[in-house]
Amino acid sequence: MTGPHANPEDLDLYALGALDGDDKQTLEAHLRDCPPCQQQLAAARQSTALMGLAAPPVAPPPQVKSALMDKVRVEQRPPVAQSGSSQAAPPKTRKKRWGLRFAFGFGLATALLAFTTYELAKQDLDRGKQLQRLQAQLSQDVAALQAMGQVTGAPDSAQITLLQQPGGPPGQAHVLYNARMGLGVYSGQIAPAPSGKSYQLWLVPSSGAPVSAGLVDANQQNGAVVVRLAPGLEPKAFAVTLEPYGGRPQPTGPMVLVGAAS
Amino acid sequence: MTATMQPVPDSALMDRMRTGDEAALSTLYDRYSAMLFAVMMRILRDQQAAEEVLQDLFLQLWRNAGQFDAGRGSLPAWLMVIGRNRAISRLRGMRDREVLEEEEGDYANILASDQNIEDETVRAELARNVSAALEQLPVEQRQAVELAYFEGMTQSEIANRTGIPLGTVKTRMRTAMQTLRQILA
Repeated sequence: MTGPHANPEDLDLYALGALDGDDKQTLEAHLRDCPPCQQQLAAARQSTALMGLAAPPVAPPPQVKSALMDKVRVEQRPPVAQSGSSQAAPPKTRKKRWGLRFAFGFGLATALLAFTTYELAKQDLDRGKQLQRLQAQLSQDVAALQAMGQVTGAPDSAQITLLQQPGGPPGQAHVLYNARMGLGVYSGQIAPAPSGKSYQLWLVPSSGAPVSAGLVDANQQNGAVVVRLAPGLEPKAFAVTLEPYGGRPQPTGPMVLVGAAS
Repeated sequence: MTATMQPVPDSALMDRMRTGDEAALSTLYDRYSAMLFAVMMRILRDQQAAEEVLQDLFLQLWRNAGQFDAGRGSLPAWLMVIGRNRAISRLRGMRDREVLEEEEGDYANILASDQNIEDETVRAELARNVSAALEQLPVEQRQAVELAYFEGMTQSEIANRTGIPLGTVKTRMRTAMQTLRQILA
């Protein structure tokens, strides 16, 4: 140990990152040889970190979590769903033929994936922010491709077409969804949302409140969105509503697109 | 019979995450994201940037779950320290804070754990106490502390920003820390 123990306030300021110059160097020199002060610094780190609790909690928009969980699932690379699972519900008849539209969507997503990879190779990506965005886009594309593969390969998946509502903005969208897996893909296009507003997709069950399926961009023609909900939740319909920016736990705004599931 | 619902401890959720349980990550996200997002929004004042930092933080937690010893450290404090550092790095276009945290490696495990803020009620009470303690500080002291906490400024930078002599800034911040320690003890 060198010299007397550090002042608690200096440890707080150091933990806060506020010390600089000679004050910082002197304290660091002392800390290297003083285990008791190292322990005090550990406590100071916690107490100063928790000063952030003074900021009233702010719930992040739901799409942040859904994007996080999509990334986690992509990283985890789960095994492809096995056919003939004993837990599987009896498959239903396909309600509509979605092959062409989603094959087109699949092709677009594949092209987008290739384009993203090309962009990664072509551009000088020493700027971290740009790289992060491209990586995020790449992860989303891969997640969408995986989901498409799973859902299109299941005989009990259904396609729901969502149509614009009277007086609402022009648009149309499609949801390819498998209730047994709780997995689906959304693609579509709507007129851009007004400033400060977001489009939010909902699964409307036969009974009970609508369930948020996350935010969707106005233009999802070229980049499908993966929909993940609780398995076994049968949709009566899917709908897109216009909500305050970031979305809401329950719909509050007008329905922009609606499509019945049967 | 009545039973009180106890939150699943962070340590149990971290154990489950190590086995690849996504639901455990989901629970931890639901538990701490609003607390963290508030700080990130306050620091960055940019919703998209705050969302990216928040997502990256939980992704790091997922990837490095095996390195965190919840028995020796407080997860929310670790999340707050790293989350704040990353937001400030983003704000200031710096990488030194991130480098610091990576180099320290075992950072999480040296955080003391004397407050169980896994419990939302305890966390809310602590938040009220912290807010009240900051409110009790004279305005000039509180401003200096907030510039350090939410903008990552050092004492010299605060002096430059405010035009107040460095010695005065040092005195105010030391006094503020003494007062906060007394109030929150």
